[in-house]
Amino acid sequence: MPLVAAYHRPLDVSEALSLLSEPHRVPLAGGTTINADRAHDPVEVVDLQALGLNTIATHPGELRVGAMATLQSMIDSDAVPPALSEIARAASPSTLRTIATVGGTIASRDSSSVLLAALLVHNAEVTLANAGVVTLEDLLATGVPTHDLIMHVTFDPTGPTAVASTARTPADNPIVAAVARRGADQVALTGVANTPVLVDAVNPTVGLAPPPDFRGSTAYRLELARVLTPRAVEAVR
Amino acid sequence: MSASSRVEVEIELNGQVIFDHVEPSETLREWLRRQGMFSVKFGSDSGETGAAAVLVDGHLASADVLLAAQASGHAVTTVESLNTEAELHPIQAAFAATGAMQSGYSAGAMILGTLALLKRTPDPTEVEIRDMLSGILDRETAYVKPVEAVKRAAIMMRGGATEPFTPMVLEPMTDGVNSVPHDPTSPIPQASGAVPRLIPSRDVPEMSVVGKPEIKVDAVKLAKGNPAFTDDIELRGMLHAKLLTSPHAHARIVDIDDSAALKVPGVHAVLHHNNVARIKYASGGQSWPNPHPHDQVSFDTKVRHVGDRVAVVAAETVEAAERARDLIKVTYEVLPAVFDEREAMLPGAPVIHDETDTEEIFDRSKNIVHEITASRGDVDAAMASAPHTFEQTFRVHQVQQCPIEPHISIAWLDEDERMVIRTATQVPFHTRRMVAPLLGMDIKDIRVIKPRIGGGFGAKQEMLIEDIVGHLAKATRRPVKLELTREEEFMSSRTRHPQTLTFRTAVDNDGTLIAQDLYLIGNTGPYGTHGYTVQTVTGLRGLTSYNAPNKRFHCDVVYTNIPVPGAYRGYGAPQAEFALEAHLEDVAREMGIDVIEFKRRNWVKVGSEIDIAPHLGERAVVEGELDEYPRVMSSGIEECVAQSLREIEWHRRDDLSWRQPADRPDIRRGLGFAFCMHGTAIPFLDMGGCSIKLNDDGSFNMLVGATDLGTGADTVLGQIAAEVLGVPLEDIKVYSSDTDMTPFDTGAYASSTTYISGTAAMQAAENVRVRLKERAAMLLDIDQPCTIELRDRRAWAPDGRSVSLEEVALDSLHWQDQEQIMGTSSYVSPECPPPFAAQLAEIEVDIKTGQVTVTKLVMAVDCGVAINPVTASGQVEGGMLQALGYAHCEEYAYDDDGRMINSEFGPYWIYRADEMPETVVYLVQTMEDSGPFGAKAVAEIPKDGVAPAVRNAILNATGVAINDLPFTPERVWRALQVAPITDNS
Repeated sequence: MPLVAAYHRPLDVSEALSLLSEPHRVPLAGGTTINADRAHDPVEVVDLQALGLNTIATHPGELRVGAMATLQSMIDSDAVPPALSEIARAASPSTLRTIATVGGTIASRDSSSVLLAALLVHNAEVTLANAGVVTLEDLLATGVPTHDLIMHVTFDPTGPTAVASTARTPADNPIVAAVARRGADQVALTGVANTPVLVDAVNPTVGLAPPPDFRGSTAYRLELARVLTPRAVEAVR
Repeated sequence: MSASSRVEVEIELNGQVIFDHVEPSETLREWLRRQGMFSVKFGSDSGETGAAAVLVDGHLASADVLLAAQASGHAVTTVESLNTEAELHPIQAAFAATGAMQSGYSAGAMILGTLALLKRTPDPTEVEIRDMLSGILDRETAYVKPVEAVKRAAIMMRGGATEPFTPMVLEPMTDGVNSVPHDPTSPIPQASGAVPRLIPSRDVPEMSVVGKPEIKVDAVKLAKGNPAFTDDIELRGMLHAKLLTSPHAHARIVDIDDSAALKVPGVHAVLHHNNVARIKYASGGQSWPNPHPHDQVSFDTKVRHVGDRVAVVAAETVEAAERARDLIKVTYEVLPAVFDEREAMLPGAPVIHDETDTEEIFDRSKNIVHEITASRGDVDAAMASAPHTFEQTFRVHQVQQCPIEPHISIAWLDEDERMVIRTATQVPFHTRRMVAPLLGMDIKDIRVIKPRIGGGFGAKQEMLIEDIVGHLAKATRRPVKLELTREEEFMSSRTRHPQTLTFRTAVDNDGTLIAQDLYLIGNTGPYGTHGYTVQTVTGLRGLTSYNAPNKRFHCDVVYTNIPVPGAYRGYGAPQAEFALEAHLEDVAREMGIDVIEFKRRNWVKVGSEIDIAPHLGERAVVEGELDEYPRVMSSGIEECVAQSLREIEWHRRDDLSWRQPADRPDIRRGLGFAFCMHGTAIPFLDMGGCSIKLNDDGSFNMLVGATDLGTGADTVLGQIAAEVLGVPLEDIKVYSSDTDMTPFDTGAYASSTTYISGTAAMQAAENVRVRLKERAAMLLDIDQPCTIELRDRRAWAPDGRSVSLEEVALDSLHWQDQEQIMGTSSYVSPECPPPFAAQLAEIEVDIKTGQVTVTKLVMAVDCGVAINPVTASGQVEGGMLQALGYAHCEEYAYDDDGRMINSEFGPYWIYRADEMPETVVYLVQTMEDSGPFGAKAVAEIPKDGVAPAVRNAILNATGVAINDLPFTPERVWRALQVAPITDNS
């Protein structure tokens, strides 16, 4: 049982921000992370489901995905390019992708998230309720400010995107993945830093010192970056 | 909504709006079970298992990670919504018909997922079906038959007609004895992967129920999600237990202060070494007397691995128990720890069992708990004179059984103040005997009930937590439940033994084996439990598959500080056969002999002596010779090899254009083979009992001690009895595994149930049949009852007259010379007939990254006569899935202090439905005369061959031999750096 001391479901953003201004309160997007974690201290959760942030809308030259849009809704939406839709599908199994949200994925800043890497190569920008628009790259570096909320993420959906990855099994979270988009100078890598990062497509390992774990040492992750980056680039050429 | 502690919710559950107040922490799974929706199961708090998946607004979603409060305003559907009539819903019926449910623990989630999928996509592709199943982990079916069930359900829901789900019967390719050359032009039989390919034996007569794909006897309750599992019971006043486990790999407990914990409201007991009697035991579920050393106590003054027991709390709520558990203050003296079995024997290694009250440790100063030896002939002399000798060392790793239902036990004192323990166990009778002294109770005052259980695979061949709930029930005089979390299941349950195996082999110039020598270092963790017997089986399997006049086994079983290894399906054989089949592959390559020809020249055949077997095991003949040694009496291996080589297209192994695809320059392909031999039960030791009685309507109640883990044992035993009694399976009502109600059985392990308990069932039914014939002869006025036949629910005289079994029953129970017709029998076997199999693997290797992708697995098994080919093939499919995880991705990862760092399914990783390779199963019939209706074992042999077949396929693909498991990308990549890839042509 998760350690939830109180549950709030605000009806608009200002009420949500007001609730989140109190200590020990955290936003509840889908819940796949916080509700699964039994180790944290008791918190009050602020459920964002009633804020109307679950829409996926196209605008000229950009796609806007609400923070509370689930990964399943990205898969189901005709507006989402097929490659991104497939990345959303691979991000989570059938029983969790209906709960997990785009906003929650961004807030988690998971180093191995291919979806975040894909959003990076699509030059995604994140709109925060208080801080306004920031690039996803900057947000991944700093994290979501305390007492703020992700409203939506906006990106240019054009250009084919391709993933090259290495994992233990076909559906496993990749040890390292490279995501390339046609026309982009940079490639996004997962598994080589504390968050997904943009790297130079020609010299992808410059400045990288991947944290090792039991699935991949630092040296191996660097080698994967060297091998997978040109593969991803080649796939969109 | 307010911020008050309880939350008002309005949830539409199965079409009915429910208003309730919930705790903010309450998950949707907990709330649904509180509403009586027992189909929603616990697998983990993370939602990763999918056992608790339900439909929320029509979408499949894990109810573990949703708060009940989040579901307010939404529509929730559980499988109970389909249970509006006695008949099964078409989706439920499809799952029953295809054998898609083994334990059925996650059946509710799968059925709901199908419901949602078919509503959206009435004719889904296999990719869409597998994607739907991707969130529901299954350790039993390999997803093959669930996929088939969804396809069948789709047809049924669209109003289409379906054929009965039956095996595809194939013509034999061999004469049953001799090999045939592989023919690349022979067409591969085409059928769904879920359909077992059955090659009948001419020696097997036609039967009515045996050999038929009968629907499992427990299918209805599993498909409907009826309350059938340990946790599906509600007892007034039940307390919840929570364990405090060690954060240290090795430490002495200096002090425990439970005063703060006892002050937590709702806490009823805190138990630890200061208030629980110190009674020595060994937790492995084995026959009396349990092998020494008895090196455990319920709560010790020392902890020997991270996750070891320290204390337990019982409280009125889980939260109170957890809060109190966290308030127990323990002072540890942390000691040095050792994790590698090779290092544990070195001078200066910490001594793990320095207590004085554990007896029969072979050399405690070196942490050697057992030394095991056995030999035949003179290995040293043979090695010295042999023209070719080879030596290789292999290291196999630690993995977990991962039953989706974790260990769970509930104990209470009944109205007679006897202890009742309802528990997820494979060994109810052993558990009753073993727990009694720990609780200070007589065996007669304990009743152990095994309801349906959600998989065991050996993890539950253990008296693991039953003593804890028993102690708490005695201390509190309240019912107490303890259910392990997923992390506890990884850290505090049981695992597979890591081992270091060194094979030395001597070979004559013509490829005949002269000598085999196996030195094994087995890592039994901090407790002996199954340490002796598992390593013995490693020796047995390592040295009985092939004929060699000289054999030697030497084993050191070593204590370390890793979480405890125990029984895991295969029981030492997968380790042995990985090393053996890899080693002989390399020997064949060195000798320049075709690997199958080399192995064929040496593998055991009908008539071969299994000569080292009697010298290994709990009742081994340690000294001297036997007058007679057991022999192989049936083997279908040549048919297995022929069928599987055709299926895998073995000729591609030598086709460079296939192995190095021109359009994928970084990919190499390969095929690998492994010969597999297993055992069937433990001779002179495993025993099962059965009792059958006749009812008024001509049906029968069958009581068996055998333990159905989801394997279909109840069904198979029922089929055997039905065949003898001439009735359909539906007339046999099976009740199993209740120590008060059913006869004794050693339990579900050692591939024994069909063979041992099945023979008991057959004999009990034969005893009933004798009396039925005598009573029928009275009614038919016939002098010779033996001339009567039982079939179609009737007793038939030779002249064509008949009486129904109902008439016989009414006459015998109510009318004349009244009696209860019943029969009982038990069986222990002097034989251990080996099943054989050919395991093939097709793989791809990315030579730049080391990533291995397994694309196809084929297993052809000679299990004698498969009593039920659908359940038997399901055993093979599930076994291959687990074996694939062992070979490819699963492993315990630790930090430097012995803490497991991947104790969740995400980082640990078990195979999902949407990534499984193609699997194909062949069942090659042979007539094993010692088995019931010709049956041998099938449950464990699928665990044996996948790892060596994949390893040998990597060798075929790259020319690189890898002798450590698993074949994870970095391990393979590093091997490829050391030994450059050859074209291997």
